[in-house]
Amino acid sequence: MNRLKKYLALTRAGIIECINYRMSLAVMVFGNLLYLTLIYFVWKAIFASSGSDVVNGMTFETTMIYLVLATALFNFMEMYIVWEMGRDIQSGKIALNLIRPMEYRNYLFWSVSGSFVVNFVFTFIPTFIIVLLVTKGTIALGINLLYFIPAVILAVIINYEIDFIVGTICLYTESIWGINIMKQAVVTLLSGATIPLAFFPDKLRTVIDYLPFRAIYDTPLTLLLSDGTDKNMVMTKLAISFLWAVLMSVISRLFWKVSIKQVTVNGG
Amino acid sequence: MDVKKRGIAFYFKIYFKIITQDIKSRMSYRADFVISTLGMIATNIVGFAAFWLMFSKFPNINGWGYYEMLFLYGFSLISITPTQCLLDNNWNLRRCVFDGDFVKYCFRPINLFFYYESEVFDVKGLGQLAFGIGTICYSWHHLAIPVTFVAIVKLIVFLVTASLFMMAMQNAAAATCFWIENSFYILDLSLKLKDYAKYPVTIYNTVFRFLFTFLLPVAFIAYYPSLVILRPDEVPVLSWLSPVIGAVFFYLSYKMWMRGASRYDGSGS
Amino acid sequence: MEKMIELKNITKEFKVLNRREGLKGSFQDLFSRDYKIIRAVDDISLSVGQGEIVGFLGPNGAGKSTTIKMMTGVLEPTSGELMVNGRIPYKNRTANSQEIGVVFGQRSQLWWALPLVESFKLLKDIYQIPQKDYDDMMELYGGLVNFDEILHKPVRQMSLGQRTLSDILAAFLHNPKVVFLDEPTIGLDVAMKSRIRELILELNRQKNTTVILTTHDMGDVDALCERIVIIDKGKMLYDNDIQHLRRFFGSYRTLKIRPGEDMKEVEEHLEKELAGMDVRISHDDEWISILINEEQIKVLNVLEMVQEKHEIKDMQLEEISTEDVIKKIYREGV
Repeated sequence: MNRLKKYLALTRAGIIECINYRMSLAVMVFGNLLYLTLIYFVWKAIFASSGSDVVNGMTFETTMIYLVLATALFNFMEMYIVWEMGRDIQSGKIALNLIRPMEYRNYLFWSVSGSFVVNFVFTFIPTFIIVLLVTKGTIALGINLLYFIPAVILAVIINYEIDFIVGTICLYTESIWGINIMKQAVVTLLSGATIPLAFFPDKLRTVIDYLPFRAIYDTPLTLLLSDGTDKNMVMTKLAISFLWAVLMSVISRLFWKVSIKQVTVNGG
Repeated sequence: MDVKKRGIAFYFKIYFKIITQDIKSRMSYRADFVISTLGMIATNIVGFAAFWLMFSKFPNINGWGYYEMLFLYGFSLISITPTQCLLDNNWNLRRCVFDGDFVKYCFRPINLFFYYESEVFDVKGLGQLAFGIGTICYSWHHLAIPVTFVAIVKLIVFLVTASLFMMAMQNAAAATCFWIENSFYILDLSLKLKDYAKYPVTIYNTVFRFLFTFLLPVAFIAYYPSLVILRPDEVPVLSWLSPVIGAVFFYLSYKMWMRGASRYDGSGS
Repeated sequence: MEKMIELKNITKEFKVLNRREGLKGSFQDLFSRDYKIIRAVDDISLSVGQGEIVGFLGPNGAGKSTTIKMMTGVLEPTSGELMVNGRIPYKNRTANSQEIGVVFGQRSQLWWALPLVESFKLLKDIYQIPQKDYDDMMELYGGLVNFDEILHKPVRQMSLGQRTLSDILAAFLHNPKVVFLDEPTIGLDVAMKSRIRELILELNRQKNTTVILTTHDMGDVDALCERIVIIDKGKMLYDNDIQHLRRFFGSYRTLKIRPGEDMKEVEEHLEKELAGMDVRISHDDEWISILINEEQIKVLNVLEMVQEKHEIKDMQLEEISTEDVIKKIYREGV
């Protein structure tokens, strides 16, 4: 019980910090709106030039809904973990964190959990509601919402673990930016965050199916936007996500342990 | 001691001395240099992949063919390079101001903006430049535009012009840290804006066309300047005016930056 | 003779945001902001002549660094007149910067990754130092410090002491009229502190540079300053030379005793006997120091008191230390 209290205290502190920066919220919202306008016009032009309403199995409307929610999801999940870790490592603060009674991985997760909560409540939910209203019933309001929750939680975990693994690399090198940029580029492309996976050529899609990234954006969004009747598909997808979550947690924990040992032995 | 007034020649001379040292010292960090360059390459490759995924199957976006779009893309890569290379230190501005370290730039008898920005030169940007040049050559070839002396001159002039706009935006965004807490998001936004530059402004409706032309001049980073090469028979007035507009925007952003710096009181915000 | 630095009724006020507490407070802050005005510097006047070394003392947050920032042109005073070398610093920043040097104890102004000599060369270009002057300075420096140790080392590889030394050399390189040193010896070991102080003294002597020194270290004050300025809560408490200050507290003596037996016992005895009087008792490994106000009780009396009950192995009598003087001023004013 005490442990939970400790974790929640971190969450609360994170929420206060978040709310304090009202300007940054406004800017974030503005930036998002701008981005959404961009993809609206670009995809409109793409669909207009294709000569048919349906491209790769998606209509303009479904594409837009997907991308809008993907953006909201991105804002919710992007915690700049790699930067936090990189800074902690470079400044040496990491040594202090290792002495704390809480394991660093957990500590970091719960400190950003405050932002998770704020972002989910202030960004994702309103966006979702707006989309619901604007599209007037294109999105089913049934059990698919329920399926969305575990998918999102698993997505958050997988995303965090990937970030953590990448952040661990910062123990070996000083170059935070380069690493983060590579991760971001690869993950956003292969997870279906910027372009729906439907638009990928088949060969590429098979490869992507064997990677954990699609569980971060493609899976939760597909589940949310489905009508929830295909139980088999839902269960399969959730199971795959779950497996990836477990696998990534294990890898990240091991990698961290090994790396820390290396560093403390060598006095990094 | 009588000191000569410091002119452009002076600043050029010491700029090269300062950045040579910065580059030399960065190169000595092999691992970081390699990883950052790889990161840059990866981002560019992903960018091209995304571009290809979206446009390769569609012959005609709003009147723009695939190779014309590619030309725009390459053009924008080149025009954002000066911002990336020369104004890279703007990314440290917020932290520097917050920690109080910024004060140390105020004590030298040279232009504050120059002194601050000259500390860092981002060599990775040159990699991006290479990508951009490659893309332009490739699409130029496929568009069968005649390669004349005039065309090359036009290209260079308008590339320079276009770069002024990106520099102005990034600079102004960074300068907000003198007034606003947590201005990181604004600077981050200005970076994202560069992605909007690779699309022709004709895809937008009137309202947004106005926004992206006059308020957040993204359209000038690639679209308007490129028209001079891609559609030489129907060049809008704005394209010809862009050098002047670019200079004005940049000057304004410089003034804003300096204003913030001179109001700096030596403590955080 | 015209003064190098003149401050007349200088005041500086800041607007500070009041942050409210807790979760509810954070919500309130989102919608309305509440400011208060802080007066960091309150009506300070002083003038400094060429070649003087002046120590600026005062508790943290007293307004010392704010005053220094105004003198270096970083801050603009809210009211009052300020002249450095005949110029208004914040109005003529470039010209002013040409004639001053600044050293921050903890933050180097040199190029981090460059060997020292490259930094010097860059400074030579930036300040447009004529080649001959530059060579003369390098020769002078060569005689004052061990160049072999540091000249070709990048600043990032230097120890704190070497870094501070380099910063000071860099600050004097262009032969400025005034050099501002902000806590130059902070964090250094005793040997290094001594070297730095010697360097500053020598440069001041050779070049007749005015030096403004902010410090908390009494060793700095004793070694370098003839004149000190004490600032607290934005106001000037004291501005005169050290001798004058000591004379002011002339009736104070420090009696140091080396007891033959348990120090603790002796100390406790003294504390009991002298309770309620204007005395201060402290000790280090070997000695007990008693700061005595002879207007209240004579040294001999205290000595008798001790010798009645305890053995004294050794004894010393001193003037009041500079540190004690400063402490008294902080606590009681002048």
